[in-house]
Amino acid sequence: MSDSTATGAKVRVLIGKPGLDGHDRGAKYVAHILRDAGFEVIYTGIRRTPEQIVDAAIQEDVKMIGLSLLSGAHNTLFKRVLDLLKEKGAEDIIVFGGGTIPPDDVPGLEAMGIKAVFGPGTPAKEIVDTLNSCLA
Amino acid sequence: MTNDLIQLVDIALKDGPISVRAAGRLMSLMEDQPWRLPELFHAWAAVRQGREDELSEQIPMPRLFLGITGAPGSGKSTMTDALVGEYREKHPDKKVGVIAVDPSSPFTGGSVLGDRVRMMRHATDSNVFIRSLSARGHLGGLTLGVKGVARVMGLIGCDVVIIETVGVGQSEVEVTQVADLVTVVLAPGQGDSIQMLKAGLMEIADLYVINKMDREGSAQLHTQLLSSLNLSFDKKEVTDVQLVSATDKTNIDQLVDLLDKRTSEQSSDWPALREKRMYADVSESVLDQARMLLAGELRTNPDLTKQIIEGTVTVHDVAQVLLEKACDSTQEV
Repeated sequence: MSDSTATGAKVRVLIGKPGLDGHDRGAKYVAHILRDAGFEVIYTGIRRTPEQIVDAAIQEDVKMIGLSLLSGAHNTLFKRVLDLLKEKGAEDIIVFGGGTIPPDDVPGLEAMGIKAVFGPGTPAKEIVDTLNSCLA
Repeated sequence: MTNDLIQLVDIALKDGPISVRAAGRLMSLMEDQPWRLPELFHAWAAVRQGREDELSEQIPMPRLFLGITGAPGSGKSTMTDALVGEYREKHPDKKVGVIAVDPSSPFTGGSVLGDRVRMMRHATDSNVFIRSLSARGHLGGLTLGVKGVARVMGLIGCDVVIIETVGVGQSEVEVTQVADLVTVVLAPGQGDSIQMLKAGLMEIADLYVINKMDREGSAQLHTQLLSSLNLSFDKKEVTDVQLVSATDKTNIDQLVDLLDKRTSEQSSDWPALREKRMYADVSESVLDQARMLLAGELRTNPDLTKQIIEGTVTVHDVAQVLLEKACDSTQEV
């Protein structure tokens, strides 16, 4: 559950788009379904640097960062986000990704520390369930 | 990262990225458990022990808490972004804080906090701290945790803290309880001169900003607003009106000059006002704690409610019983 009624606390998630592609339909879709699942979603907009995303995530004290990427630069940019989190003492923030990511690249991303990767057409429920189990 | 308030205050006062993390976590605690606000005072006193020459007696306060409110889409976030940029340019060694509140879903409690999208150019500026908050069902334009978050902004040394409300209608005026100065943002196309006469939002401004001055109708809106303000019975307080375009940064420098002028003119009144608010906030926290204790007792003793409905005891009797039970259980702990 994303709702802890004892404190009124909500799970805060930051959705960011690193890199240069400007297609944010997927990112907005995920923001929307997470909102509907009771999360508080901080959306950063398109064309952000990993530095901007990580600094924003730390100020916002989020539990998770979702990275959306369609440009093909996921191996480099996702890695950079993980490295920056570590550098800033925030490696406990869960990072997941989505977008047009070749299935062959997924094991590598997971080995790097990305907790889940959601490709095109992933059902909303699957995303929410997976994230909730990451939090458990 | 720890959840211990004293440790967090200690870390938040250090240098480097870890202090940002601690400040962020402190804000989360204030947001999730607003009634813990007074614990910040306790934590500050504990951290200050032995560092009396370095840390002030009370948690530092910003020079200005600036409230920004207005209808959805009037340009509050874009204006906040422009103001942050201008403040940073005018006072390069000073820190600016932003608290941006967005609405929550009445159905799921979830929210999309999108104000940051307009402010991302400041994300890597270590002298800008931006925090997005969900209203969490609270009506009034802000959220319950906002006061604690504002305190933390002061604690980490912000010189100016901008508090941006949700997009408001006509009667959400809660920002007046937190801000020293309130700016109401208007944009052309949102109504005629009758809207200017209405009570509520249009009464709370210390200054009005007409945004989107490049758009058709802004000159007319300006005239309507000025003539409406001239009708005001009580003209003691001079209300300024500034035309700006937040997107292309037109007149933002004038707006910041105006805000700085108003701050230096009026800030001598603020310590007393802030102290009064602090007492009110602490009282509210105490009552919240008491209420939670009593609510817990009532939940574990459903018979009490049943007896009231049956007419065998009065509400007053049950209130007394709850107080006694709460006393007993706190003594046990």
